[in-house]
Amino acid sequence: MKVLLIEDEKELSASIETYLKQENYLCETALTYNQAEEKINLYQYDCIIVDISLPDGNGLDIIRELKENQSETGIIIISAKNSLDDKLSGLGIGADDYLTKPFHLSELNARIKSIIRRRNFSGKKELLFNEIRIIPEAMQVFVNEKLIILTKKEFDLLIYFLSNKDRVLTKESLAEHLWGEVMDTADSFDFIYTHIKNIRRKVMEKGGRDYIQTIYGMGYKFLSQ
Amino acid sequence: MKLLTKISIYYISFSLVAFLIGGFIFNRVIKSIFYTQLDENLTTEKLLIVEQINYSDSLPDFRTVFGHLIEVTVFNEPKQKFGFIKTTFLFDKEKGKLIPFRHLIAEGTSIKNRGYIISIYKRLDETQNLITNILLTMTFLFLFLMALLIFVNYFSSRSVWGPFYQTLQNLNKYDISQDTPLELSKSSTKEFVLLNKALTRMSKKIRRDYFSLKEFNENASHEMQTPLAIINSKLELLVQSEKLSEDQMHLIKPVYDATTRMSKLNQGLLLISKIDNNQFFATEKIGIEKIIEKNLENFEEIIQMKNIEVRKEIEEPVVLTMNKSLADILISNLITNSIKHNVQNGHISILLNRKKLQISNTGQPLSIDPQKLFERFRKSDRSGDSVGLGLAIVKEIINLYQFTIEYLLSGSIHTLIIDFSREGKLDDQNAS
Repeated sequence: MKVLLIEDEKELSASIETYLKQENYLCETALTYNQAEEKINLYQYDCIIVDISLPDGNGLDIIRELKENQSETGIIIISAKNSLDDKLSGLGIGADDYLTKPFHLSELNARIKSIIRRRNFSGKKELLFNEIRIIPEAMQVFVNEKLIILTKKEFDLLIYFLSNKDRVLTKESLAEHLWGEVMDTADSFDFIYTHIKNIRRKVMEKGGRDYIQTIYGMGYKFLSQ
Repeated sequence: MKLLTKISIYYISFSLVAFLIGGFIFNRVIKSIFYTQLDENLTTEKLLIVEQINYSDSLPDFRTVFGHLIEVTVFNEPKQKFGFIKTTFLFDKEKGKLIPFRHLIAEGTSIKNRGYIISIYKRLDETQNLITNILLTMTFLFLFLMALLIFVNYFSSRSVWGPFYQTLQNLNKYDISQDTPLELSKSSTKEFVLLNKALTRMSKKIRRDYFSLKEFNENASHEMQTPLAIINSKLELLVQSEKLSEDQMHLIKPVYDATTRMSKLNQGLLLISKIDNNQFFATEKIGIEKIIEKNLENFEEIIQMKNIEVRKEIEEPVVLTMNKSLADILISNLITNSIKHNVQNGHISILLNRKKLQISNTGQPLSIDPQKLFERFRKSDRSGDSVGLGLAIVKEIINLYQFTIEYLLSGSIHTLIIDFSREGKLDDQNAS
């Protein structure tokens, strides 16, 4: 899996790179518009993460260039400009997703996985993990080939966990993933707690293992073994 | 009260007091003049009679007419000198009523050593009528003069104060955040020229400060974004470390929370300054009830968890021309607000029609002044980690689209009403 990260802020770029490398992506970085242009002309990427405001150009132009080449690359815009206009024009010219800085690395990771899953035309659109099988489009979850019924939010939580296996997911990141930025209150944390308990119970009822671990008031972690 | 009305009222009340005092004094003076005259006449008559008695030792031939009554009685023995003049009332049989008279009584002794009593009555009612007539004429004259003066004063003031009212109107309509500087009309009155000059200078300075402050706010928030993003990302990497002990994790947790809070604060401020700077200019027709539906759906589980009953009353579809993301932020802030501050087993009522959107929710009493509800960083003690910008953002969006928002509290029900009609706001401005 090859990912190109176009981000001019060195430290931020380094953080994202570290996180993605831990996911076993082949992650390359470009700090400027020129570097990015060079790389997309030379190599093929599965996914590109692009910052809109670059010191020597506009990230939107890179997207346009990619699209002219009929590229199948997935594109995620990350932008500090919390503006709808950027988002609209970005998605309008063919970007797949849009994230506003600052974002959670786990969220970015989940978005990348989701795009790659959607673009993975050859394979089955399924998520497989040990005894758990998920068909995202049908919103169906099987444990040991037995269907379990999850609510929409529980389903989203499970997918988010599976996208970020062995990662500490903070409560804030989970709340933001489920509701967006506005709902980071005690209510939502209570809700997350209750529904993680539900997921655990439902998975274990069908003979699944308990994968979700609580991390010292910080959040939760989905263990892969 | 209007300036002209106030001046007129002062004018009328002072004139009235002056007239009452003046009228009283005038009445006294004119009465005393007439009475002095009358008394002099009576005294002269008395002297004539006394003279006659002295020299001819006989009574003069009086023709007594009603209203001028002379009675003289002569005695053989002398009489002590004595006399007075007073006002008295006599009954007039013809008219059947009491009539005032001036009455002179003089007692004395003539040269021939004979006593006499002279008593002269003179009618007063005609004199009094005369005084009344004079006073009435004066009153009419005064009223006419006063009316004339007020009239002249009113119209001349109106033209003199004209430029002032023009300035006032311009100031009222002026919005410091608009693009054009304050323009005031010219005047020939020196004071108003000076006033307009001072106002123009002041507004220029305020505008300059306002814009530089706005720019600073945006730049500061913008510049803070990147460092915050770096801190956030590094913290997130840090918590992934397998080597962290529980103690270390407990140290990192507050740092993470504080940074998250700061990021939210920063984003909120940035959003506010963007709305302030009118950077959300792309508008489209937005179906409000759809956004309400979407938000209720998004928070459905939390609503269920708190067992909140949602009563929704969409009277008619409402389409507003707004920026899409601002409409979204507006509605979601209002709805999350009504959920966050709600109580277990509470309810939320949403009413939407072409005129207004009304969202009420049960909740704890406010711990802050309702007047300050929409100010930045105002939050109740109970809202925990909230950064206190939600309603400030709502207010900002409301202002941008010239809607109005109102907060009502009845019992434990908190209600926010957004009035979509822009006319309503204009009326308010005129009234104030």
